[in-house]
Amino acid sequence: MTVPTSTRHEPENESTVRVGYYGVPVIHEPHWKWLVIGYFFFGGISGSAAVIGAYVQLFGGPSIARIGRHAAYVSMIALAPCPLLLILDLGRPSRFLNMLRAFRPSSPMSLGTWGLTAFGLLCTLSAALHLLHDLAGRADGGAAFSKSSYQGPTLLASLNCLAGLFVAGYTGVLLAATAVPLWSKRPGLLGPLFLSSAMTSGAAALTASTHIWPSGDHRAEDALQRFETISTLIEGVLLLSWLSALGPTAKPLTQGLMGYVVRNGVAGVGIALPLTISAISHLLPSRFRRSASLASAALTLTGVFALRYAVVEGGRRSANDPLATIEMTG
Amino acid sequence: MMRTRISPHHPREFGSRDHFPGSGSVLECAESSLDRKCADLIPIYNAVMKPDPSLQYGFLTDATLCIGCKACEVACKQWNQLPADSASAMVGLSGFSYDNTIDLGATTWRHVAFIEQDSPAGVAWLMLSDVCKHCVHAGCLDACPTGAIVRTEFDTVVIQDNICNGCGYCVPACPFGVPQLDRSDGGSHKCTLCYDRLLGGMTPACAKSCPTDSIRFGLVAELREDGRQRVDRLRSEGVDAHFYGDEHLGGTGGIGGLNAMFVLNGSPSMFGLPARPSLPGHNIKPAAFGALLTAAGFTLLAMISMRRTR
Repeated sequence: MTVPTSTRHEPENESTVRVGYYGVPVIHEPHWKWLVIGYFFFGGISGSAAVIGAYVQLFGGPSIARIGRHAAYVSMIALAPCPLLLILDLGRPSRFLNMLRAFRPSSPMSLGTWGLTAFGLLCTLSAALHLLHDLAGRADGGAAFSKSSYQGPTLLASLNCLAGLFVAGYTGVLLAATAVPLWSKRPGLLGPLFLSSAMTSGAAALTASTHIWPSGDHRAEDALQRFETISTLIEGVLLLSWLSALGPTAKPLTQGLMGYVVRNGVAGVGIALPLTISAISHLLPSRFRRSASLASAALTLTGVFALRYAVVEGGRRSANDPLATIEMTG
Repeated sequence: MMRTRISPHHPREFGSRDHFPGSGSVLECAESSLDRKCADLIPIYNAVMKPDPSLQYGFLTDATLCIGCKACEVACKQWNQLPADSASAMVGLSGFSYDNTIDLGATTWRHVAFIEQDSPAGVAWLMLSDVCKHCVHAGCLDACPTGAIVRTEFDTVVIQDNICNGCGYCVPACPFGVPQLDRSDGGSHKCTLCYDRLLGGMTPACAKSCPTDSIRFGLVAELREDGRQRVDRLRSEGVDAHFYGDEHLGGTGGIGGLNAMFVLNGSPSMFGLPARPSLPGHNIKPAAFGALLTAAGFTLLAMISMRRTR
């Protein structure tokens, strides 16, 4: 009787190699890669930009209303690639409409699809209203355009705010509702982390947009900056709490390449640097402040992308580690 | 082929004939003649013996009876027309003892695990045919956004291939690592508990082919009772036996029990099974609550930080 023993008697750390059943993962890894990472990034920006636009309109009053126009456009532009990314990620892209054949409250993906559809309609409507107003302003000889204190209906802003919060926040819930140890061990922190990082990226994208289309409203841009800084702080605190609450399950995000990405990309480039810049920006000569805020926005966006990448890729590594699943499921 | 009843306490021999428990006792008086006149009787037999859709059907897979023949794997692949796994097709063996399919997957719906353990007492030589657990509360079913995954009239969990769009959410949503996307057709696949055979009044292919009754098909309540009795008996004989598939082991954390249960002669993790899995859907509440709180926090922050510019 020939027993294939070649792998069994190798001296190297057998205990780690052969955890459980020959080290075969207990659960199956998710297939999500760049398309979904891209969707999490752009979807987060789109949803939260719409939310910030609604905040500006609902709480900020007319003096900073111009940011609302930026928000409508940024939200629309960031939303544009999302359906394509999601459809291409399907194993059978031609059946993407099957997502809308059922409403299943038990599935965050089903809720997400319906939420994203509703948000897509609201976001498009909002952007269309702003575009119509801008076109009318141009035809007017720029009179209305230069004032540009146009705001959409308050009801639309409120709905956009709710739908935007949903789109920015449901992705964390979706990942938490799996058997992947990294995603499912501390659901109460992953949901908030995804929402806060989305808000940070939305604020940063809006700040960046004011460099492309100057709003001419410093108070609005300052308000946006403050919001971005506090959001970055919240994101940083949530990231730290999440990682420390995970304990050994955080291993895929603290070791190796992912550890490098999380420490330098997410925490360093995405959180520490922008916070430092915003802390010292009032010391800078005023002509440098605008470039500082643009740099800070770009760094923040890079960091949020790195976070999306690390969480998705780390999730796959976590799923492929039988020890992580065995530790969690006793 | 003569079958030997290995497990002495089985009141009936499910799996050896197309006998559906819970569907009446008509067959009991006619068992011997049925064998001879099988062909003539098929239509009548199907009409009488079709499983009662109001009852729950499942498997009991007993590791202490498995001889590792892989008849279940072959019968499953044959009936369900599943190709060889691409990973092992070239090599033939994985290096994990006699295991050549390694894991459950898109094209392997029964997987026979082989465990060789060296110990001072000798080599432990364990085998178990793993399968979809057909959970009472199934993570894959909860996660499916299209409604492709359904609970059937037999209380089994089935992926409807003509609906599935390959979103892949059921794959990480299964705490047991059962469904998997097939790269060749893009869809997610797993054991159907031979839904088509059940409709035709037949036992699932794996249970039908099992020569030792290690795999039994039947009513969940009966199988559970039999499985527990078997575990008690094995324990009294000094075997480290566990019943896997009730609220104590395997079906914990909101899963509410498994319709495909197991008798294990070792720890679950040795067989690649999670001891105390939980239903992934249970995480929705805390995650959503956390996100809602955060959303409220950001709204408050905006009310304060934006109002200053009024």
